[in-house]
Formats: sequence, structure tokens, C-alpha cells
Amino acid sequence: MASPVSAYNSNTLDSQISNTVRDSLKMEFLADVSLLPGEERITDKDLIYICPFSGAVKGKVLITNYRLYFKSSDADLPVTLDVPLGAISRVEKMGGASSRGENSYGLDITCKDMRNLRFALKQEGHSRRDIFEVIFRYAFPLSYSQHLFAYLTQEKFPENGWNVYKPVEEFRRQGLPNNKWRIAFINKNYSLCDTYPTVLAVPYKSKDEDLSRVAAFRSRGRIPVLSWIHRENQAVIVRCSQPLVGMSGKRNKDDERYLDLIREANDTTKKLTIYDARPNVNAVANKATGGGYEGDEYQNAELIFLDIQNIHVMRESLKKLKDIVYPNVEESHWLSSLESTHWLEHIKLVLSGAIQVADKVSNGNSVVVHCSDGWDRTAQLTSLAMLMLDSHYRTLRGFEVLIEKEWISFGHKFSSRIGHGDKNHADQDRSPIFVQFIDCVWQMTKQFPTAFEFNEHLLLTILDHLYSCRFGTFLYNCENARDQHDVRTKTVSLWSLVNSKADLYLNPFYTPDAGQVLYPVASMRHLELWVSYYIRWNPRIRQQQQSPVEQRYKELLALRDEYLKKLEQLQLSDSSSSFHLVNSSTSNTTSSTASTPSQQYTQLHTPL
Amino acid sequence: MEFSEHIKTANVEDVELRQPLQPPSRGTLCITGHHLLFSDREADTSRHLLLLLRNIDAIEKSVENLLGYPGFLSKAGHSERMTGSSGTITIKCKDLRVLQFDIPGMEQCLNIAHSIETLSCLDNVSEMYPFFYRPTELRLQYHWGLLAPEQHYNQTKELHKRWRLSSVNQDYSVCSSYPPAVIVPKSISDETLKKAAKFRQGGRFPVLCYYHRKNGMVIMRSSQPLVGANRKRCKEDELLLQAVIDGSDKGYIIDTRSSQQVQQARMTGGGFESKSCYSGWKRLHKQMERGKALQESLIKLVEACGDESQNMDRWLSKLENSKWLSHVQTALSTAGLLAECVERDGHSALVHGYEGTDCSLLISTLAQLIMDPSCRTLEGFLSLLEREWIQAGHPFQQRCAHSAYSHTRLQQESPVFLLLLDCVWQLWRQFPLALGFSEALLLRLATEVYASDYGTFLCNSDQERCALGVKDATHCLFQALLKPTEREVYLNPLYELNQLAIWPSVHPQSLQLWRGFFLRWTQQARHLEEVQQEIRNMVNEWVRVTQSDATTIQ
Repeated sequence: MASPVSAYNSNTLDSQISNTVRDSLKMEFLADVSLLPGEERITDKDLIYICPFSGAVKGKVLITNYRLYFKSSDADLPVTLDVPLGAISRVEKMGGASSRGENSYGLDITCKDMRNLRFALKQEGHSRRDIFEVIFRYAFPLSYSQHLFAYLTQEKFPENGWNVYKPVEEFRRQGLPNNKWRIAFINKNYSLCDTYPTVLAVPYKSKDEDLSRVAAFRSRGRIPVLSWIHRENQAVIVRCSQPLVGMSGKRNKDDERYLDLIREANDTTKKLTIYDARPNVNAVANKATGGGYEGDEYQNAELIFLDIQNIHVMRESLKKLKDIVYPNVEESHWLSSLESTHWLEHIKLVLSGAIQVADKVSNGNSVVVHCSDGWDRTAQLTSLAMLMLDSHYRTLRGFEVLIEKEWISFGHKFSSRIGHGDKNHADQDRSPIFVQFIDCVWQMTKQFPTAFEFNEHLLLTILDHLYSCRFGTFLYNCENARDQHDVRTKTVSLWSLVNSKADLYLNPFYTPDAGQVLYPVASMRHLELWVSYYIRWNPRIRQQQQSPVEQRYKELLALRDEYLKKLEQLQLSDSSSSFHLVNSSTSNTTSSTASTPSQQYTQLHTPL
Repeated sequence: MEFSEHIKTANVEDVELRQPLQPPSRGTLCITGHHLLFSDREADTSRHLLLLLRNIDAIEKSVENLLGYPGFLSKAGHSERMTGSSGTITIKCKDLRVLQFDIPGMEQCLNIAHSIETLSCLDNVSEMYPFFYRPTELRLQYHWGLLAPEQHYNQTKELHKRWRLSSVNQDYSVCSSYPPAVIVPKSISDETLKKAAKFRQGGRFPVLCYYHRKNGMVIMRSSQPLVGANRKRCKEDELLLQAVIDGSDKGYIIDTRSSQQVQQARMTGGGFESKSCYSGWKRLHKQMERGKALQESLIKLVEACGDESQNMDRWLSKLENSKWLSHVQTALSTAGLLAECVERDGHSALVHGYEGTDCSLLISTLAQLIMDPSCRTLEGFLSLLEREWIQAGHPFQQRCAHSAYSHTRLQQESPVFLLLLDCVWQLWRQFPLALGFSEALLLRLATEVYASDYGTFLCNSDQERCALGVKDATHCLFQALLKPTEREVYLNPLYELNQLAIWPSVHPQSLQLWRGFFLRWTQQARHLEEVQQEIRNMVNEWVRVTQSDATTIQ
């Protein structure tokens, strides 16, 4: 796993270190960190890691331009930390010259990935100031006008992840353009909307001038455009931002007509359903700042509020969750504490919103989804609904496309929400919206264990590199900014790493089922806290048997490959017999109701 | 047969059935001595429901007389049989299913309800269905049970040096709830055992239940010593326990009661092994809830799970308030403690609480699963259940007479065995490769223990089973589960032999609600059940094809 910590391992190495002379320690120490190409050592230092689980641990820390690496010098207490500097949200000095208590003088580091790190130092010289400055400088390079590590790395991969998503190709896969929808290049210079991608799908009957006039009435010019079209019934998911209705209740005929064009593009849509992700009151409140929602003037449309809270509420909810799981897990009233964070409740609302969207569309009814700006909740809803509706997005590559398309290209403000390389940890724009989306995906994989080609490890890897700044994938707020910073030419894509070692991320039990809509159950009873993500730093929570399971999954993948190969051979050698074989295998996998309890009672033996 | 006395109406036509996961259907309802049978009239879809009356935990009826409604007669014209009234029976099953029948005719409805009420609660064991169940593929001459205590002893050769098989209880006179043969230290005579038994509640003197091959240490179980207020001693009991740890520096007694509880127990004639009398033994107290508290916990949990009022924002609090998961936690951590004593600390241990027929069995079973890979296969697990629950005298008939829905005044009911299954499920979830059996097995057992075609879970002890001829006149569930056709369903396709102990995490965030059981009658749980079977079929197919030649497949 590419995750930052591989703690409590490798006893042999530790004893080796303790046996060597102190002078050569540095060499040995560095020898077992494998630095990435382009990664450079900045400094190292002896200090004490105040581990919340095993107490104070003496050791050495190494700072590179990519990571903070700590290794204990005590062979009996092998502790290793491997944290990308990008995961650091805040660095603080703790204790002053007058601090008395043991280990009370040092550094307190808050991470974006649900943990904190504390180090204690000696109160002599400028030792603390120096390391503080190094960490600060390299964790927040943008605040020093320096480059993010993604621009320094020399990593090479056999696959180029930047080729995963090509907007026109993806539209073609969906069957677009067709006689109802056209591909528009009006935004090729980002002049219509600077946070949208260059390639947009819009109603065939709409003219480019219409689009410009609609843009004037939509927050930040984020006009309604097609995200996904249902192959059979041609119903669509359209996304946008809120209309600029304002206090005076402004109307815009072009916007009204444009939405009606969207409705008309599908024969079976009598009324266009507009899902406003916000709670009703928030939508009303937005009128005060010039926003609002579609009123009765939009004929042939109905508006439904989905009651999903804004970025600030989500941020506070996750903060509360962190409080009850790190460093110590709230044990005595775990479930009610968990309930009081409302995290699962938010997950439920997002999922059930997406279910409503998916259900409408699969019933042949086109929908429009928006929130305020259409880059947070809207992205969650459209991408989750698409995941439910389109089995292509449930494959490894399809999922990459989904993220590239609905999140990255449509301007989810990753840079603002995550704060890559930025020191302003209290920035009100930060929010775990994307984490929440991945959590929703995880809930779906739990409810449909055979429906996804990828495994949990992929989701964890994505979240690790959401912060790490090792790849360019999640950098910047929109395509426009990415172009300006040459992200695609100067950085490596996360999908290069993933697709070069795809085996690691595959689910052995994946059974492709074209065309089936997945409706997860969004009831609290069926949702779980994603313990293996949120509580993974706690050594007691970690599943002790994780590695054998991964090993076994690899074996099963190999077995499956061999099986498929054999099937192929059979098909080549004898088409009739292989037909029989394929048949029997599919009937085997689908006849799955053999032992349900109602059928246990099949024979009547009551004497009377 | 006397069942017919209780059946005034055996058949009703035109009944509507509503059940979870299926559309309503209309058909004929029929009551027999042991079953409720419903079959719909659609020729093409032809669905049957056959339910053991024993599975019914509670029945609620509501009847209404429709004659009072104007316009009724015109509507009623289509059915001659309608007498102008109807009723609804709601049946709540021990497997947590809820069924509703709309029955035309008030009288018929009441008759049916009355029959069900009476026949579902018959407590004469020999009238129960297992005595009538005669499937064509099974013969009664088959060996009942998997492994008698004698066979178990004979197979465990390592035991023979220091342990012997005693038949002191062959006529059940020493302990009515023990099997005829038990394993005891070789140096202890039957006479000593008899005297020790008098010092233990219900005669349950310490017997061996597990031998740890890795270090030769053992788990013993018993009931509490009858110390009483005047601090009685029993030389023979002390001798017996001393013989257990002979050659070792100490042993551990895991008492499933708190230290206050054991003091109070002395006032009612029970007590604990004092340090002064049992110098080699160190007592550890771990309070476990049992009996009524456990039953009430189950009732609360089932109520929360069935609450359709959609006030779901309080779900987690309700789950917590039911305390079921904290019972799971206590059971697993006590079992973990026991396993630690034996495996990590390298000492023998004795487990008991009060009677030694509930919590003691629960944790000795779990500890064996934690430590012993041979208990984790399908056969191994069923044998373990047979040894530790059936032969060891868990009073199934008392504990499982009713489940969470029953309105009758509860007596001895307590879902200890269900708690065991839940704990095993938690192990299965935390160690997806280590157990050789599937969740389907646990679900099947959770159903069978309350209502079954088989005799395995009948009666409270081996003695009762023999007296009533259970072993001669009923079929054995465990045998049936191991038949080639059945066992396939109950194997874990991911299973890999793991020689190590599997230490469960018992932190609240590591424990989950057993949705497969408690939310079983929801679409989602059903879907996951199906997916597990799909995965099993898939893996089996891979193995079958890859391991065979192309020619043999055809």
C-alpha cells in the first residue's frame, strides 16, 4: 500500500540499526527509506515522537521535499512514520522556553488525513526553529512561491494517466452527439465560464448566443450542460449553478427557454425535475446574495430540495468525527457519539439525493441538478447518480473517468477545498466534500460487493494522494488554472501510478452486469462508518489480518485469470462444448436463492 | 391424533398474505398439527409458504364486522363465502419475519388464530415436529450426532497421559445435565468426583472441555461451588482442581460474575473458590449479563430494527441503548481473556458463573475458536457446538422457547446461543479467511435453534434427550448439514487454514450489528446473502475449471 505509514514492521532492520555505530546511523537510516525520483533530503534530526498509542519514542526524523519520515531508534519499540508533507494542514510550536514538563517543548503537526503528530525536542540552540521552518516551507510551498512536489518529481510510469479521460471520447461512448444534443466548443478559451471544461454538451437546438445569455443568469456562468445521457430512454442528467434570481425575483427568458429545450430533448419528460441540493431555507437565503432557485415561472419544471448541508457544516461534522476517533476512540458511548457527529446522516442525505436523481432518470425523466455554485454538492450528486446508472463507471478505468469528468474537469475546487501547499489552515473554503463522495462510493461497494471492478485499496489510495501533492491530478480549482500551470505536461497523473499496477486495485469478485441500476439503501441502518479509513491510524483498530486477505485476493485474481484463459482455450478448441460451459457457469452464478429460509420448508411431512 | 382437537378450521380460501420482500398474494391457508401452509392460486407463479408453527413467536389478531358499513352488501356480491366480516392475523416469527394474513370470515379468523396460539406453544417435546419429520433421503438408523464424548476422547491421543474418560455419570445420577462420559484428571477417582459433584451447583463438577495441543494446557468448566454463608469446603473438589494444574505453578479461574456478585451468591448457597482453599488458582472476574437482561436486550434491539417509523436519526442511539453490542463485546473480550490465559500465558483455566450452562459455554466455545484451527472448519465448528452446547447441557428448550416478539410472560428464555452466533459472526467478519464456514450456516443455526425439523436442539440435556428417545426418533441437524449437497452451501470459499490464534478486536468500532440476521427481511440483507452465494459459486467454478482438464469438464 502506498499509504503514509507502514508502522510496526521489519524488526530485523531495527536490530541492525541498534547494533551499528552511531556515526553510520545516518547511512543506515536513509538506506531503508526509498526516496522517489526527484525527492531530495532536506534535513534530519534526532527527536522524540510523542506517539498517542505507544508513548514517547526516541528516534530520528528525515525531512525531504516530499515527506516527513520518522523512525524510532529503539529496536524494542519499532515505530515508523511516513507522511507526505502535503498531508500537513498546520504546524505549531508547543511549549516555550519556560516549559517545565517532560517533552512539553516541540512541534505539533495537524494532518489533513485524520491524525496529529507531536514531536518533542531539546530546548537548546535553534534546533526547533530550524526544523519548524523547514517543515513549514516544504509543507506549504505555495505560501513561499515555491513549486509543489508534483512539479519536482521525476517519476516515470509505463502508463500515462493523462490519457484516461478524453471528453469527446467519453461523450461518444454515451452516444453523443446525436440529433438532440450537440458538442459545443464555445468555452474553448474559458470565455463563457472560466471554471467549466472546454468541451460541453448542450441541447441541439440551443445556439451559442443563447448559451452566453444563459451564462449571465447563472452563478459564475455555470450554465446547465449535459453530464450523462441514458442510452435507452435518452433521459439526461444536466448540471449547473443556481440562477441569479436575487431579492427582486429577477427572471430570465433565455434561461427559462433553455431549460425547456433540455426538457424537450427527451420525449418522455413531461416535467423537467430540478434537484436543488440545498435545504430549502438555504436556497431562500441565497437570494440575499443574488442567487436563488427556479420559481413558478419555469413552466414544465418541478423543483425538489434535497436538504444537503453546505461545505461548512460538512467540515465541522468531520472535525467532530476526528475528535471522537483520534487519538483515542470514544469507547463508552461510541454509537451515540458517532451519531452526534452527524457524519453518517450527511452521507445518507447525499446518497439518497443521488438515488432520487438516478431513479428519475432511469424512469425516462430528464433532471437538472444544482446547488449554489454547482461544484460541490452538485458534483457529488451527479457522479453518484452516474455510478448507480452506468456500470462503465464501476470499472477501474470508468471510475477514473468519472472523477476526471464530474469532479476535476467541472471545477470542483480541489485547491481551495484541500488547500494544497497553502498555510492557511483555517481557510473557510476548506471542506471534505470529495472525501465524503469517496465515502459514499465505499458505502456502495459494501452494499454491492461484486458490482465494482476496483477495491477499497483504490479508494484509500485516491484519498492519500488527494493530499500528497505527488501527482497533478487533484491540483488547482479548474481546467483553466490547470492549463495555465501546465499540469498535464509538467506533472504525473495519479492514474499513471494506478494503471501501471492495476492488479493492486482490482476486486476479484467483480462480475460485470451491463445495464443494471444499483440502488444502495441509504437508510442509517445500512450505513457504516468507514473504520478502515477514518480510524486507520489507531493500531488497535487495524484489522490484524489485512495482509493475508490481500494476499488471498491476489491468489483469487490469479485463479480467475487462469479460469478465463481456460474458458478462452475451450472456446477456441470446441465452440459447442464451450458454449455449454459458459452457460453452466452463468447459471451457477445467478441461481443464488437456493437456501433462503422461505425455501427451506419445501416438503410437507405433517401427519394428520 | 390429538392435534385435531385444536384445529376447528383447517382450511380457509381467499386469504391474502403479505410478507416481506414479496408482493401480496391470495390463496389458501391451511393449518396442520405442526405447520402453517399457504399456497396461492396462481397456476403459473405457484408460491408456497410452509412455516413451522413452532417458529411463531407471537400472533396478533384484529377482526372487524363489515356489516355495519353501508354499501357493503353490494360489494360483497362477488363472494358467496363472505359472511360479512373479516380479520387480520399478524404472525411474528422467531426468525424475525413478520407475516400478515387477511382472512375472510371473523369466525374462521379466530379459529385459525386460536389453533396457532395453541399449537405453536405445545411444550410436550415428543409431540414436536422433529418426531414426525421423515425426509426420504435420511434414515433414522444414521448415527445421531457427530462425535460422542468417548470418540472425542479416543481421538485426542495427547489427552491419554494425564486424563481419563470417566463414566461416573453413566446413569446421569451424579449430574443430570452432563453427558454419561466426561474427561477428568487421571489421578482423580470416580468416588472423588461424586463428592466433588455434591459441592457444585447441579452437580456440574469441573470437567475438561478443551486441550491446547501447543502447550498441553486445558480449559475446564463447571458450575459455582456451593460454599454458602458458612464457607464450606470440599476436599475432593480442591483435589480435583489441584490435579488439573499438577506440575504447573498456577491456573486461572474465569468467573463470569463480578466480585460483588460472587459475594452475594454465598448468601444463597453458592460462592467462589477462595484463595486460601484453592491456593494454586487465581480468580479473574468478568461480569457477563445473562438470562432476563440478555433477553430484554434482544427485545429492544429487534424492536429498533423493526421500527418503520423512519425516525432514523435516532437509530444509533437506539442500537446503543439496546446494549446488544456491548454484550457481544463482553462475551468476546471474556473469551479473549480466557484464550490469553491458555495460549499466551500458558496456564490452564477453569470457567464458570452460576449454573455453568450459559455464559461458561459461550466463552469456552469462543475461546476454542480463537485458539484452535481445528474448530474453525465446518465439521470442527459443528462438533464444537455439539460438545459445548448439546452434550454439555445448555437448556435449549428453556432458553429458546420464545424469542423477541413473544407476549407471554418470559420464564427461562435467554438468547445465549444467538449471542454466540453473533460473536462468531463478528469473528468471521474480522477474519474473513480463517473460518471454514459461511454466514449462511450461522443464519441457518439461528433459525433452527428456535424451530426445527431436526431433534438436535430439543430438550435441555442429554438425559432428557435419551428419556424421550430423541436420538432414536428424530434426525440430527448436524448430520444433515454435512451431507454433500448441503455442506456446499455452508462452506466459506475464501477459507485458508490458519494455524495461529485469531485475536478479535473488541473495540466498539470493530463490532458491527449482524445485519444479515437482525435486518434479514430487508431487501439489502437478502441481496448480500445472495452475493455471498454468488461469490461462493464463482470461486468454486474457478477451482473446478482450473483444476480439471478441458475434456473432463465436458
